[in-house]
Amino acid sequence: MLKIKNLKAGIEEVQILKGINLEVKAGEVHAIMGPNGSGKSTLSAVIAGKEDYEVEDGSVDFLGEDLMDLDPEERAHKGVFLSFQYPVEIPGISVSNFIKTSLAEKRKALGLDPLPAKDLLKMMREKMELLSIKKGYLSRNMNEGFSGGEKKRNEIFQMAMLEPKLSILDETDSGLDIDALRIVANGVNKLRTKDNATIVITHYQRLLEHIVPDFVHVLHEGRIIKSGGKELALELEKRGYDWITKN
Amino acid sequence: MGLIDNLEKYAQHQNLSKDKRVMFDSFIKKGFPTTSDEEWKYTSLKKVVKSDYNLLLEHTEIENSVINKYSLGVEDKIVFVDGNLVYSPEIKGVHISGFSDFDCRNNDVISKLNSALAKSGFTIVVEKNTVVENPIEILFFNLTKNSFSQYRNRITVGENSEIKIIENIQDLSKSSTLVNHFTHVSCNKNTKVEYNKIQNNCKDSTLIDCMNIFQKQDSVCEVNTLIFGGDFTRNNLNFEQNGTNCESNMNGISLLDGNQFADNHTFVDHKTAHCRSNEMYKGIYLGKSKGVFNGKIMVRQDAQKIDAFQSNNNLLLSDNSTIDSKPQLEIYADDVKCSHGCTIGQLDNEALFYMRSRGVGISEAKAVLTYAFASEVIENLSIPELKNLSQRLLAHKLGVDLDFSL
Ligand SMILES: Nc1ncnc2c1ncn2[C@@H]1O[C@H](COP(=O)(O)OP(=O)(O)O)[C@@H](O)[C@H]1O
Ligand SMILES: [Mg+2]
Repeated sequence: MLKIKNLKAGIEEVQILKGINLEVKAGEVHAIMGPNGSGKSTLSAVIAGKEDYEVEDGSVDFLGEDLMDLDPEERAHKGVFLSFQYPVEIPGISVSNFIKTSLAEKRKALGLDPLPAKDLLKMMREKMELLSIKKGYLSRNMNEGFSGGEKKRNEIFQMAMLEPKLSILDETDSGLDIDALRIVANGVNKLRTKDNATIVITHYQRLLEHIVPDFVHVLHEGRIIKSGGKELALELEKRGYDWITKN
Repeated sequence: MGLIDNLEKYAQHQNLSKDKRVMFDSFIKKGFPTTSDEEWKYTSLKKVVKSDYNLLLEHTEIENSVINKYSLGVEDKIVFVDGNLVYSPEIKGVHISGFSDFDCRNNDVISKLNSALAKSGFTIVVEKNTVVENPIEILFFNLTKNSFSQYRNRITVGENSEIKIIENIQDLSKSSTLVNHFTHVSCNKNTKVEYNKIQNNCKDSTLIDCMNIFQKQDSVCEVNTLIFGGDFTRNNLNFEQNGTNCESNMNGISLLDGNQFADNHTFVDHKTAHCRSNEMYKGIYLGKSKGVFNGKIMVRQDAQKIDAFQSNNNLLLSDNSTIDSKPQLEIYADDVKCSHGCTIGQLDNEALFYMRSRGVGISEAKAVLTYAFASEVIENLSIPELKNLSQRLLAHKLGVDLDFSL
């Protein structure tokens, strides 16, 4: 589904990603771990199409298409979704209006009519239930005054509504307490199918107990320096990053 | 020629009373304000004054279908065509008639010109204890080419009464026109008055509007000024509070593009204690458009325990648009709460990327964020037809097909 080859990207002459190679197949869950500042969020942003970053070399192929040629909205239409590490507050737009617009625009791009209001509401209700989101939340302004945990839950709610093929969850666990973590992780698991894939970015083993990865990668100074199975996450939890980064 | 000559010629053939003659002469002596006048510093009438206008309006008739096309679709309508009152509704407790003369203390030349020469307008008297359920839309159509029309309107709302009005000026002459509009509103004790101006005239029209609102105790008055159309617009909005526990609310949207210009001058005169004023003007500027905001709040010595709030927020969506914003506070009482704020900004790039990453195209994302910026004013509109129209006009002007009503 996603093939990243020798990806080098940076900002204002500073190279942050220094040759990333990663392949994610449909149905898989990949975890990316790594110390602060190693480039995890940069990698997510480059995949999602943030224009601040300049891609210097390499390629990102998504379902046979070069992602780097596409605008962020086109990537979303193709099925890329990023759960932001820092979701943006948008005063003046309600959660429901935001999601309604996103979904309608995505459907428009795919040549579909907007969902009838009734079906849209039904879908929203189902997904809210999945994530134990309370009523009244839909009419709140997008992320405005949300707690850290509410923001993250809102990200996964959008993911549930937009039904992407590739979801990148950038530190979705930060800000969530243990109960919320379990609910959100359960939600993510329920949304998994053999046709979609998930990249989970996290610092902690904690989340990976709930969303069990097929592969774990360690990102350090813009490079993936080690990859392994889920046991690698446990080892990192015990020993920290030093034992890998020192070599 | 030019406007002053047109006016002098026209005035000669009017049988002006002595008072009106004096007023007209003092207008002629001073002439139209120029940018050296502090109140007109950023607002140039040069182009307007140089043009020739037709002061003799034709008597045209207009089809109902045309009225309906421009109307917001509310039931009760007052309709003017070329200065003539052609239709007014029957509403219990409300007396609607045409022009009736009244004095005003406004000292500016344009108000004097209106006092001296205006012969059209409406008079609305709402009896005591009358709650007018449905909003009244007042439509002013013009069909005379290059006309200069002046309206002089008066609304008196009796004690304990409530009324909502929408004002809608539409030029159908397909030419450059000028309107000098003057409205006097008396809000008696314990009244609730809402006055909405939908300023969406065609692109060659110039409007100079002055509204004076006098409030007695326990009255609440709200004015919403929604500017989407027109070439040149100047709104003077003056509130005077003459009783305790008055509330004056004024909100505005200016959404301008091309070479459009709009100036909102507001003045709140807090003369009595225990009163409030809330002011929120939002400007959105595209193309080479230009906005001016001047908000003056005066708190007189006896006006203790005043709560006055003013904000003017602006979004510059192009490199060539400009805004001049000036708050003016004059406070002579010591126990007051008064705050004002002015912001000038662009759309937030992080928010734009956030929306785009959800599949919303760049124009639509900009439109959604612009709507979000304006939403405090639009969502506050109490008349659904007006809210809906504002949402549609915003989407239309930003070139997107989005429905903001949810
Ligand atoms: N927009 C930016 N401007 C400048 N530096 C940036 C920007 N984004 C990321 N960086 C830098 O790139 C490096 C990687 O950051 P980031 O991708 O956020 O790391 P992580 O998510 O792994 O903590 C850091 O040194 C950070 O300071
Ligand atoms: Mg990060």
